[in-house]
Amino acid sequence: MPSAVFADSLPPQAVGDQKPAPRPPRTPRPNYARIHALPIPVKTYPLPTFVPNNPISLFHLAYTFFAHLLSAPPSHPQPCFEAYFSNETRSVHVADPATVRALWEQGFFGKGSLSRSEPTWMDREKRRRGLLAVETSEEVTQKRRAERRAFKKERARKEREAIEEKLREEGKLVNVQDGEEVHKPDVETQSHEGEPTEGGAVNGPVDALPAPEKAGFGEAGDAKKSVRFSESELHPRPLKNDASAARPTIGDDEPIVDQEHLQLTLEEALFLTYGLGTLRVRDEATGQLISTSSLFTMCRQHSYFPPKAIADLQPDDPFLISYVVYHHFRSLGWVVRSGIKFAVDYLLYNRGPVFSHAEFALIVLPSYSHPYWSEPSRKSQTVAKESKQWWWLHCVNRVQSQVRKNLVLVYVDIPPPSSLADLSGTVNITEALQCYRIREFSLKRWIPNRSRD
Amino acid sequence: MASKFEPFHISLVANRYFIHDVDVITYIRREHHICGVLLGSIPQIPQQNVFLGAPLELMPEEARLLFEKGAAVVVDDLSLHKDAIAFLPHHVKHDYLRDLRDQGMIAGRGVQKRTEERKHKALERLGLQDPPTSGPCDTTAPKEEPLSNNAIDSLPYFDAPLVYNVTPPLSGRILPPTDQPTELKPPKVPFSYPLYEFLHAKGYFISPGLRFGCQYLVYPGDPLRFHSHFLAVGGAWDEEMDLLDIVGGGRLGTGVKKGFLIGGAETEEQACKGHASTPDVRVFCVEWGGM
Repeated sequence: MPSAVFADSLPPQAVGDQKPAPRPPRTPRPNYARIHALPIPVKTYPLPTFVPNNPISLFHLAYTFFAHLLSAPPSHPQPCFEAYFSNETRSVHVADPATVRALWEQGFFGKGSLSRSEPTWMDREKRRRGLLAVETSEEVTQKRRAERRAFKKERARKEREAIEEKLREEGKLVNVQDGEEVHKPDVETQSHEGEPTEGGAVNGPVDALPAPEKAGFGEAGDAKKSVRFSESELHPRPLKNDASAARPTIGDDEPIVDQEHLQLTLEEALFLTYGLGTLRVRDEATGQLISTSSLFTMCRQHSYFPPKAIADLQPDDPFLISYVVYHHFRSLGWVVRSGIKFAVDYLLYNRGPVFSHAEFALIVLPSYSHPYWSEPSRKSQTVAKESKQWWWLHCVNRVQSQVRKNLVLVYVDIPPPSSLADLSGTVNITEALQCYRIREFSLKRWIPNRSRD
Repeated sequence: MASKFEPFHISLVANRYFIHDVDVITYIRREHHICGVLLGSIPQIPQQNVFLGAPLELMPEEARLLFEKGAAVVVDDLSLHKDAIAFLPHHVKHDYLRDLRDQGMIAGRGVQKRTEERKHKALERLGLQDPPTSGPCDTTAPKEEPLSNNAIDSLPYFDAPLVYNVTPPLSGRILPPTDQPTELKPPKVPFSYPLYEFLHAKGYFISPGLRFGCQYLVYPGDPLRFHSHFLAVGGAWDEEMDLLDIVGGGRLGTGVKKGFLIGGAETEEQACKGHASTPDVRVFCVEWGGM
């Protein structure tokens, strides 16, 4: 149903000197401000405002106050959201469609198992069968990518023609018809098509790495790029819309069964359970309710692969570190979502992905600043966990500057295990989380030559 | 053809490898496909850092490669100079100092000559007569004299009217010859050395990739002529990799129209299985699909 371009994608590139064709009128956006009115799935009931020159407002205020005093309206969803802990995917699944909608609309929790982020499989399926006319965000993206690909192809063609024109002017290119003497990028890519490439994205085993031509300073025309692109890049897949319009598929008359469920990450599930108290997690096999403290332990165990025994859990479990950060930023009112597509741990949205692009990209780094960790026996391990290469930071930073996000390094100070020692029996999550400290560093690429006033 | 410069000195200063000789710098770029990074500021234009000159800093990998080829000798710069100067024979030292002073004198003469000529011309233009004592024709005769004079050491300095103090860019003359064996071990290299060696053997030019967020930038030819094709990251064979690093590298590489290349050497056991004498290097190229 949403027709908006999703916030995660890059802002559309400027097309240079070409004027883009006039766009068809856009379908009006849904009223996101109303759909996503609640920032978290918890309702609040503020007292009505008191207007001094209107005495009735005082009665209204008093009435509401006493009514709430006698029987408070429920702040949490009734009944409580239910979800299942899935061992295989190490995530928490929500199957009930109403809960799925509620969790997405109120705080942007989770991700559709068959969608990019918002669970829109049902809409896409309906649209495929012609029952629904509104584009989903996935289709918008796909269309945009196809457009961009066509634009790039056109640009490459023009560049090639310009080079040929220049060569012809210089008299270096005599017989265009021969085609063999002159290197054409198209000819080059065609010749690669016949070769079997292994896999989609990973192309080329070791033997296939081409040796560059001997770097003699000969004619300039033989400079060719030896990077190869996978099949999918050379042959863009047809748009889904076209395909669906062309062929009526099997079973279109059957009633649509929703195949999709919502996947919550472990951090999201614990935040909903422990932080907000709006979710109850059940065991997938037995269907028994998992208490918050045992869910906490399970999440910690499952942050390792294979899951660790309870006795081996450490204060620097990947789950604990990332949950501390997740909880911290959720508490500050940010919408926190996974940032794997931009090679970071989390993305921070101001109100949510449908409203604006993510402003900040977070990288979570453990910091072993407590003296316990600097004892010689542990020093080598902690240093190995802490240290990262400079080129890694440059890589992440450049990716963020490409997509115009601010990179924030979030350091989590790890307490010694003794402070969590009493956790082995009954877990007090609050006390455990209080041992952690968070430091944030914002980072920006600064180039002296370009940043000069 | 390599014999003129090889083996040359690679100076080790504070765990970094330098080459100071401009001829060697151009030579290894031409013959060994090693560019290094120029570090020194240029005396004529010192207030910028876009164009830099000698010395050239080498990556440890580059130093190791030259070392293993037998093209270079790694020397500890500090101890080498200390020893060389402490045990310098008296006559060599004198010769050297005299040579320096001669150079300074020649430079001073040149400057003086030009000044005289300018003065002469200016006076001619004004129609005045040149004072006959120091004509430009006079300078040629005494110029030869101090060079050929063996007893120059006894001459006081002020005999020469203008002597520049020459700072020699290289101290190769007073150092021991480069073919003397040194006890220095081969340069320590990171895990990614097999990848570097592999790519270099294929004919690629490789420069450090910090600017692009990778270990090596891989050029198909001289970097002055080509754009790089790959952003390379090397690792040990069983090293665990963060998935986020692959995402980041893939995105970054495709964003700048390069391939993100991961590679590493096989372990010894695998090499034995494959009946290869040395561990093979395997590389993979990652490309980001949705950009």
